[in-house]
Amino acid sequence: MAETMENPKAGLPDAADMLLECKGVSVSFPRYGAPVSEALRDVSLDIRRGEVLGLVGESGSGKTMLSRAIMGLVPPPGEVTAGTIRFEGKDLGKLDEEQLRRMRGRDIAMIISNPRGELDPLQTVGQQIGNVLRHHLNLTRRQIRERALDLLKQVSIPDPQRRMDAYPHELSGGMAQRVVIAIALACSPRFIISDDATSGLDVTVQAQVLELIRSLVSERGTSMMFITRDIGITAHYCDRIAIIYAGEIVEVAGREVFFDDPQHPYTVLLLAAFAQNERLRRYWLGGDKVQEYTGPSPVGCPFQNRCVRVEERCRGEHPALLERQPGHFVRCHFPVERP
Amino acid sequence: MQILTYIGRRLIFVGPQLVGILLVTFLLLKLIPGDPAVMMLGPFATDDGLARLRTELGLDRSIVEQFGIYLWRVLHWDLGTSWQTTMPVTSDLAQRFPATLELVTLSLLLALAIGMPLGVVGARNRNGIVRKFADIYGLAAGALPDFWFGLVLIFILYTILGVVPAPLGRLDFTIIPPPDVTGSLLIDSVISGNWPALRNAAGHLLLPVLTLGLINAAPILKMTLSTMERMLEADFSRYAEMCGLPPKVVARKALRNSLPSVITIVSVLYGFLIGGAVLVEIVFSWGGAGQYAVQGVLNADLNPVLGFVLYSAILSLVIYLIVDLIYFAIDPRTR
Amino acid sequence: MSVLTVDELVQHFPIAGSKSVVRAVNGVSFSLDKGETLALVGESGSGKTTIGRCVLGLIEPTDGRIEYNGMALGGSRTIRSPELRGKLQLVFQEPAESLNPRMRVFEQIDEPLRALKVARADREKKVRQAARRVGLAEALLERYPAEISMGLQQRVGVARAMISDPEIVVLDEPTSALDPTARAEIIDLLIRIQREQGTAYLFISHDLSAVRHISHRIAVLYLGKIVEQGPSAKLFAQPSHPYSVALLSSVLLPNPRIRAGGRIRLAGEIPSPINLPPACYLAGRCPMVIDPCREKMPPVETVGEHHSVRCYRHAEVAALDKDFDSFGRFQAEADRILGAGIPASGTV
Repeated sequence: MAETMENPKAGLPDAADMLLECKGVSVSFPRYGAPVSEALRDVSLDIRRGEVLGLVGESGSGKTMLSRAIMGLVPPPGEVTAGTIRFEGKDLGKLDEEQLRRMRGRDIAMIISNPRGELDPLQTVGQQIGNVLRHHLNLTRRQIRERALDLLKQVSIPDPQRRMDAYPHELSGGMAQRVVIAIALACSPRFIISDDATSGLDVTVQAQVLELIRSLVSERGTSMMFITRDIGITAHYCDRIAIIYAGEIVEVAGREVFFDDPQHPYTVLLLAAFAQNERLRRYWLGGDKVQEYTGPSPVGCPFQNRCVRVEERCRGEHPALLERQPGHFVRCHFPVERP
Repeated sequence: MQILTYIGRRLIFVGPQLVGILLVTFLLLKLIPGDPAVMMLGPFATDDGLARLRTELGLDRSIVEQFGIYLWRVLHWDLGTSWQTTMPVTSDLAQRFPATLELVTLSLLLALAIGMPLGVVGARNRNGIVRKFADIYGLAAGALPDFWFGLVLIFILYTILGVVPAPLGRLDFTIIPPPDVTGSLLIDSVISGNWPALRNAAGHLLLPVLTLGLINAAPILKMTLSTMERMLEADFSRYAEMCGLPPKVVARKALRNSLPSVITIVSVLYGFLIGGAVLVEIVFSWGGAGQYAVQGVLNADLNPVLGFVLYSAILSLVIYLIVDLIYFAIDPRTR
Repeated sequence: MSVLTVDELVQHFPIAGSKSVVRAVNGVSFSLDKGETLALVGESGSGKTTIGRCVLGLIEPTDGRIEYNGMALGGSRTIRSPELRGKLQLVFQEPAESLNPRMRVFEQIDEPLRALKVARADREKKVRQAARRVGLAEALLERYPAEISMGLQQRVGVARAMISDPEIVVLDEPTSALDPTARAEIIDLLIRIQREQGTAYLFISHDLSAVRHISHRIAVLYLGKIVEQGPSAKLFAQPSHPYSVALLSSVLLPNPRIRAGGRIRLAGEIPSPINLPPACYLAGRCPMVIDPCREKMPPVETVGEHHSVRCYRHAEVAALDKDFDSFGRFQAEADRILGAGIPASGTV
């Protein structure tokens, strides 16, 4: 906790503009007869009103855990062991379970991946949208039905009247995804978390769904956290990008800066995966290097085992998340520098 | 419409299925040593008399012929007579089958009433006291033989406390039974307004139903518990939580998704108990169908056994059809 | 010389209990040269996986001809016949599912050799060689699949496929289950192995970034038909079929300034392969549709060297956007941005 300077909100307007503030959030899982495993370590992230933040990480990096921590749904035996999460100034850690529940789906909504598996197989689309409306808003049956139908229209589902009575298994992947988006929008939330929402879709359908999410969110001025493992998406749909590795934020910057001047070797590695240039690929991706253990290291920089620029200092000293330019935070002893 | 075609298709197969079941039973019974003629005429029968009786019963013909004759009679709803009761099997069963059905149905309702709520509450709170009780209950009830449990209940509630009628059949001899309409004493007494009979029949049902219900709640409990747990961890439950639906609503979704498994186990238990309740029937001198069939097997009395098998098979097929229809109603994916 | 020729392949699957038929593959022809990579790209329902299975002889095609080095596959000649055994191999999409969880890495790689009845002493040497070639450390050979990362698991999958020196490897979405960095590593590995061994790849994928990098030629599939086929660079720079354009413009490259010209947007989603559209399969979704598209399937037309397309308006489609090649533009930027920080010598 020596890194006091790492709240990446310096240089931003006043705090009233802030929708969600995570400060030093850690989530740990106690393990029997072993040191606790930390799913999130000292994560600080802010999201302003109307902002879309991209959170990029690979599987197991803790990106989903952050969304669960925000929702107050860290699966037991895991728990938030440090830090605060404030939503519109309210400390979510101080709310009881019932208050948290009322926020979920109403103030903070979720768009999930694989919607056909996540929707209740036994309820119609209309019932599932209606469920959320009924439990969060005081509406009559008729209003609920009308509102649900209206939501289906907003997410451009063809023939919405008929789809109201369809079951999840009767929908295509893209259609189910739209239903989930409709459910997320149902109570006009101020914040939406999209967790790998388009990963299961075909590319042309993914493009349609991403466009839809973007237009709906920007129309309403909704803030969003866009969690994905595909850094390519964030370049086109997010205002600011944060990279998470082994439960830690390793780089945060606004979109233009981020893609023009990526400084953490892991970020560069993610980008290099798209390059065709042999020299770039060989250097950043390691080429025909023999693979040993490449997991996160518990001591020093977690990324050291995969880093092509690793030096002695990285082995022993854990790097802090430092603001290298205004609004651009990097957690690396030897960030990549450009002239 | 789809449901009707489905039922139609199912019914087409009922005939061949029944013939198959009867054939297998017929052959199995023929394999059991024991000569009905000897049993019927007793140890002092003459060889001549035996031979005559065998011819009369058709026992001197080939097995294929015998089975053919039997099938032909079944087609005309003649299941033969039992030489033990000297009554037609159809009229014997008309009395005994409802007795068993009433017992088994009520027992399973009780088992459901115990097993489902315990399972649901136990699954929702894994560290709660209900869960601990459910685990112990499942273990204990799964380990106890039902007839022994019945004897214990008789000993405590009849012999010591005397709060229930004697375990001798469905009705006291002093009570005038209601006219036979459905075969269920409870329903028939209500129909005829025979309240003393209703009270008395209910009193007689209490112990056997308690016995079978408490024991058979265990499999229902275990199935509900495990399915419900799985459903509460399923993706749709997690998503419902994320949408801020109240825990009760999430649990209700999970329960609805668990119902098919619970219904399956109930239907299996139902089919099983029609014959499987026989030990309890004997303990309570119930005069049920299972008891009737076992007597038949022991005394080489073929017709009651085949009749019982036929009735149970039809009943099982009906139950499975109903189960499928319930699936249809619950799960849109099966439509 | 082609190692593989597929001619008018048709694969229909009857649906049990109904008269309908899933028309997964509807007349597909292509060939594959030694040491070449042909990518089959398309979305779910395009039939690309089915084609891969037919090529491996895992399913008997409904119609058409598959020739391996001039020998027709089919009948008794399958992937398991002696003359073909080990010559055709497969790398699966889900490494975790394709590996036996109870076998050590060594045994997994060894498996094809055991099937080929190679002498024990040779096998040991070959397995270690193969492991080195795919970048698996010696120590990992004693591990179980669950103990290593998914990227490493897929390296095991590659090693297992390559150990019998196959002439053709069908790569069925080998990277789509992996994280992006692992994805790139596997692609680089496959390219290196191809250079060393001259293996021909049939690369089935919807990951266009990987496709661009690894493949020499690309066949774009839509509802079991090849709508466009051509050299990789040409197809990416100047696609001539509306579906190829739509597919390529959906790719999101990590640079906010670079987006493919999205002039063609398809309506709706892929129709079911049970009820195929009567003429051009894309007619219902295509913004450039004209009357003939609804009447007759467009013929295959050659629009360049090894470049063919099935569209009445291919010339207009090709002329839509002169600066279409987002991948090309991205590379120029990438050189500038990612080139920084690399020591001049190229090594640390």
